[in-house]
Amino acid sequence: MGNIEELIARLAQDTAAVKPVPHPYMLSLQWMGWAMAYLAVSLMFSGLRPDLMSKLHEPLFVAELAALVGIFVATSLSASLLSFPDMHQLRRVAFAPVITFALFVAVMFIAWQADNPPAPLPTHSFECTMGITLVSLLPAAWIFYVMRKFASTHSHLAGCCALLFAFSIGAIWLRLYEVNDSVIHVIEWHYLPMIAFGMAGLWLGKVMLKW
Amino acid sequence: MTDKTDHLAALMRQSLKGDQLAYAQLLQETSRFLRPFLAKRLSFTNQVDDLLQEILLSIHKARHTYDGNRPYKPWVYAIAKFRLQDYLRAYYSDQLHHADDLSEMENYLHENVTESAISYESISGEVEKLPQKQATILQLMHQEGYTAKEVAEKLGMNESAVKVAAHRAYKILRQKLEK
Repeated sequence: MGNIEELIARLAQDTAAVKPVPHPYMLSLQWMGWAMAYLAVSLMFSGLRPDLMSKLHEPLFVAELAALVGIFVATSLSASLLSFPDMHQLRRVAFAPVITFALFVAVMFIAWQADNPPAPLPTHSFECTMGITLVSLLPAAWIFYVMRKFASTHSHLAGCCALLFAFSIGAIWLRLYEVNDSVIHVIEWHYLPMIAFGMAGLWLGKVMLKW
Repeated sequence: MTDKTDHLAALMRQSLKGDQLAYAQLLQETSRFLRPFLAKRLSFTNQVDDLLQEILLSIHKARHTYDGNRPYKPWVYAIAKFRLQDYLRAYYSDQLHHADDLSEMENYLHENVTESAISYESISGEVEKLPQKQATILQLMHQEGYTAKEVAEKLGMNESAVKVAAHRAYKILRQKLEK
């Protein structure tokens, strides 16, 4: 009991004015702002796919992009909420990625059904995963660096959302850059690796977001 | 209840501005309502004190994540539960480690008993030289055939404490037998 009193006295002496971190919605907006700027710079270097304008008239391509952007937004929001010990008391919002993933899976399923006869597979395969990974590495490192300054009590989930957020940037970049119409290829070499990295985030979160 | 919560949130707002007195009062009130919460979940007072200190340190570390505009208690309990889970995980993994050691030791002891025909009676002299509590535990477990749980009930101890004491006794005996 005496130790507790001593500790309280010591902590109270140590205290100085502390600026509370922004609301998670603001935080998420900031993160998305930085991520979009990074995406724009990446696309400036790589260039856009030449058939992008015509692809934007295809409802399924637009739906796929929208679902991907949905994952990007939801995971950013969720990662910011999960950075707070109490999820800023917005527990339900923190699970938004579940809904966006369900929508994404539905869109990809419809796109796969509609891909008949299937579009020819591109000659490359794992290069796409490599490209996504390379583009996503910087945002992944950055988001973990930022999140370490918080105090997550759900470090597994926070890590998962952080990596999904980072890899969704890579996935959006590749979809806007690569000329490719094969849904199978996109699922196999773009989205499944993205989800696999997200799962690796469960472990990475535990390791990196300790406090 | 709401008044109390508002009061705590107000104290935290003042603390974030650097008010040391408000902060000390907030931590005192926090430890007052966390103590029974922890006492319900832990067996020993020293465990409660240790963990409470850890939680207070965590609150201090994470105070920038609280803005004073939402209820204070859910924020504190989120941290307290997180630290409690960590603590219990470490505690049980330690217990498991002890249990593993213990079963290893028991196997070793049994092996020796069969291979070199050592019975409890033949080493009872060595057992008697052990500290009294350890000697009693071994006697009850190996001579009278009680389980660790039964020994714990009989001696008014915790089952894991009995296992740990037995484990220590095996270790001493093994060293003596090896000589």
